[in-house]
Amino acid sequence: MDTFLQQLANGLTIGSMFALVALGYTMVYGVMRLINFAHGDMVAASAFVGLTIYTQVMGQATSLVAVVAIFLLTAVAMAIVGIILERVAYRPLREAPRLSAVVSALGASLVIQNGIMLIWGPRMRIFPELVPQVYWDFGGVVISMIQVIILVLSLVLMVALYLFVEKTRIGAAIRASSIDQDAARLMGINVNSVIALIFIIGSSLGAVGGLFIGLYYRGITFNMGWQYGLYAFIAAILGGIGNIPGAMLGGMLLGLFNAFIAGYVSSTWADAFTFILLILILIVRPTGILGERVAEKV
Amino acid sequence: MKELQKFAYPVFFVVMAVLPHMLDDRWQAVAITFLIFSVVALSQDIILGKSGMFNMGQALFFGMGAYTTAILSNEYGWSIIATIPLAIIIPALFGILLAGPIVHLRGDYLLVVTIGFNIVFVQVLQNNLGGVTGGPNGIFGLDSLSFLGYDLMSQISVYYFAFIVLLLTLWVMHNLAGSKPGRAMHYLREDQLAAESIGINTRVYKIFAFGLGAGIAGLAGTVFAVQYSAVSPEAFEFIQSVLFFSIVLVGGSSVPGVLLGVFVMFVLPEIFREFATWRYFIFGFAMIAAMIMRPRGIWPATFGKIPKFLIKENNHGA
Repeated sequence: MDTFLQQLANGLTIGSMFALVALGYTMVYGVMRLINFAHGDMVAASAFVGLTIYTQVMGQATSLVAVVAIFLLTAVAMAIVGIILERVAYRPLREAPRLSAVVSALGASLVIQNGIMLIWGPRMRIFPELVPQVYWDFGGVVISMIQVIILVLSLVLMVALYLFVEKTRIGAAIRASSIDQDAARLMGINVNSVIALIFIIGSSLGAVGGLFIGLYYRGITFNMGWQYGLYAFIAAILGGIGNIPGAMLGGMLLGLFNAFIAGYVSSTWADAFTFILLILILIVRPTGILGERVAEKV
Repeated sequence: MKELQKFAYPVFFVVMAVLPHMLDDRWQAVAITFLIFSVVALSQDIILGKSGMFNMGQALFFGMGAYTTAILSNEYGWSIIATIPLAIIIPALFGILLAGPIVHLRGDYLLVVTIGFNIVFVQVLQNNLGGVTGGPNGIFGLDSLSFLGYDLMSQISVYYFAFIVLLLTLWVMHNLAGSKPGRAMHYLREDQLAAESIGINTRVYKIFAFGLGAGIAGLAGTVFAVQYSAVSPEAFEFIQSVLFFSIVLVGGSSVPGVLLGVFVMFVLPEIFREFATWRYFIFGFAMIAAMIMRPRGIWPATFGKIPKFLIKENNHGA
């Protein structure tokens, strides 16, 4: 029972990081029908940007104000990178065949990943201890303060995003663009702005996810983007890609699944089991758990 | 264009046939790598370029062929030549079995599932399932190539082995283009619904494409195992599949385009060694630029003998 509760806590923590990153994938896919392969590398980059802001700008301060400032500055920096990415790599290919955009996304991923390597070097870097190492012991189940912060902050961000998309006028524009870009344009929605906004939101949520990854795992490497990005993308697909609550559900499910595999089976098989789960779910529900059955465009 | 091809292909074959005698050891190895990866990229082209299925797991079949040869040769003492039939059949069977339940998936889902297959495969190798894959280190110390009692130790004979495999692949692809399955695959890539409505069993041909592409990649795997006389899991990581995927699309799914893609991706970095750390950074930009300037690839494929006035410009694979 202790293992179960412990892995439940770990799983929810990992799951909320997956979910934050998955939101970036799912929102871009929802509007542009494009797998933004560069998103995982943006997440990795944000951990490094956060590290540099901590050492260069904040002078290694770990006060609450400094930590909040690191999060905000990293999110702003990554939002700017996200806008540049969309302008350079995706906008010129909006009308091109689908696969061309996929290759462009892969190219962007290589550029960002190797850009990190050229700037920060190929070796693993240690992310600073921004949050004090406080642990609570609940009868054998140990929960750290980092875990609580990750879980609570992720939930707050996800609920805020959900309300923003569902309840505001701008959110309605996002939803309209994801249903039909041409019709949305006819209704007076500036689809270009919507897409830019989606990259801003997705990249800043990914930045928070990247900082969480740094805080939780401590070791950050230039090529970790593929690993976390792939998991987050699987989370988005599990929940039904293009669907915002789906990404949150998928992320949490995947995190729990991973934690239980690591706890009860073996972590060397975690990737294999995750993909087998994905394949089984796609065979039963080809559009994911919350995905709607959409007719293929002819 | 047709005239150029009539002229260019024999020149290419002659140059490739005499090439190893003009190169030193290091460049012979580079040339062999070029040949092997060309075969894998062409096999990927059958699935991705010709049939339009988003397959991002081609390194799986490549690796399966290589491991089949390595295991049969090392564990069971088969000669390399004798392992070739199984190194084709086993990946082809796996291609068919794996593709069966997933070919109905929409493009991007198919892509993720094939990535998944690739990752599961590498994890199986690393965890040494069945105790025959050698774990993370792989299998090394393979026998050299021998045929009818002759020991073909030298690198030049490996080169010609690889060259023959490339010629075979080109021959298969040439015949495929004019055959019934080839036409069916082309139609289902252009428009699946239309293909179905004129009576093409799309499911059968999709699985056929996977089987054929997997078999050819498996054969390339045998050559790979012979060249390095070793196999290890990291040679078949899914990042390799990403490279093959990109080569086909940047090249444009034609034979010259794919060969050009392989050359740029695997031979140029050998020539410009000093740029080794910048390699992928530059490739990334090149991929974006190539797609923006030529969305259908640098050297797009043409199909059959359709008169010019009948060809309507449209978005392939949209």
